[in-house]
Amino acid sequence: MANLTLFTFCAGTTTLHRLDVRHKTALVCMVSLALFTSGFAGCLACFLVLSLLTRTIGISLPQLLGQLKWFILLLGIMFAARALTIPGDPVFSFSGIVATKEGLAQGALVAMRFFLVMMTGLLFSATTRPADLKSAAQWFLKPVPFVPEKQVAIMISLFLRFLPLILSQAGQTADAVNARCGNLHKNPIRRIRCQTLPVLKKTFMAADRLCLAMDARCYSEDRTDLEFETGGRNTLSMAAGTGLCLLMVGLSHSSFFKMIFW
Amino acid sequence: MISQTDTLRPMVYTSLFVALITVGAFITIPIGPVPIVLQNMFVLLAGLILGPARGTACVAVYLLVGLAGLPVFAGGTSGIGKLLGPTGGYLLGYLPAVLVTGVLSKTLGKKPAGDILAMAAGSVVVYAAGVPWLKIAFSMSWGKAVSAGMLPFLLGDAVKIAAAAVIAKKIRPLVKL
Repeated sequence: MANLTLFTFCAGTTTLHRLDVRHKTALVCMVSLALFTSGFAGCLACFLVLSLLTRTIGISLPQLLGQLKWFILLLGIMFAARALTIPGDPVFSFSGIVATKEGLAQGALVAMRFFLVMMTGLLFSATTRPADLKSAAQWFLKPVPFVPEKQVAIMISLFLRFLPLILSQAGQTADAVNARCGNLHKNPIRRIRCQTLPVLKKTFMAADRLCLAMDARCYSEDRTDLEFETGGRNTLSMAAGTGLCLLMVGLSHSSFFKMIFW
Repeated sequence: MISQTDTLRPMVYTSLFVALITVGAFITIPIGPVPIVLQNMFVLLAGLILGPARGTACVAVYLLVGLAGLPVFAGGTSGIGKLLGPTGGYLLGYLPAVLVTGVLSKTLGKKPAGDILAMAAGSVVVYAAGVPWLKIAFSMSWGKAVSAGMLPFLLGDAVKIAAAAVIAKKIRPLVKL
């Protein structure tokens, strides 16, 4: 789990792993929409369920927070920006900077929603194999006219393989540049140029090599599709997911919880 | 004779640009309701390098992947809620923007000055879709929507366009489309 990233698949046999990826996609859409309309109480309910699911697939909350630390930092900045810019009743002020009650509340809600969306996405990618995702994309796009669903599905699976490649190329280039004291350049534009252009060049060359490798292996669009997982657990999970979404929306619109959280 | 590699290459490059747009979306500076991201630079670059049709396909796949639930949107977010949220207009605006950028760059002969003009036009399309959407989502006045959703990004956009023009010039010889 040490190398967990937002796109790493973690092998496992949990219900989330075995769930039909089409149902999982529908669940992600539902939770995402419910979060969009939820208040604090709804978000809290969602957080509890997602934390439990994250724990079930073998990722502890500290590990998750560790992996998302840069995103959490961004959420912190987002929270501060809202707290300090939205007008309302002042809560505290420091050197002329005023944080308002409305700003703090709205900032916390937005940061919480973003964090939960990230958690949902991480759960989805940690429990879904790229091959399953490819099959699901193909299945969803099959009825859409003029869309080459097999090509799109291959592009999705290739995209998932390119992400770690770009990140590793960036790391290698940074090491090489630093070894040549490139990080000591005073001109920031030159520093960025030294980093970015080699990464992009190397990535495009790697893409070209991938084309040759695929050609050498007679890669074609007509491949045997994966069978989707079926069974009662899909229906049960959909029911549980719908229940959670209704609970989130219900809690957020209940006057009792509104009174507590506001 | 067209080899299999020639037919695979556009697909592989399109996937690569989807990955680059995603990496660009992770580099985020949240300054208000709309964050500063590098994602739009790669979107416009996709129009320049891949052309209008493949560039549009690239952005469509990117949006589809985000819609499916993978955390590819700004700040590692995803889902239909994000696409229908306040910044959804910018995301959907990438589709016509990459098309406009690709068409203009092709028409203007893929020269640096033409590329800059094409990307500027693409950026205008992104704002034309994003700012009205933001205005409706937050029930803002036009003035507030423009000052929150466009003005803070113009300087950054100019820098990104200049950088993308340099990158396009260096990368084009490597891309065998």
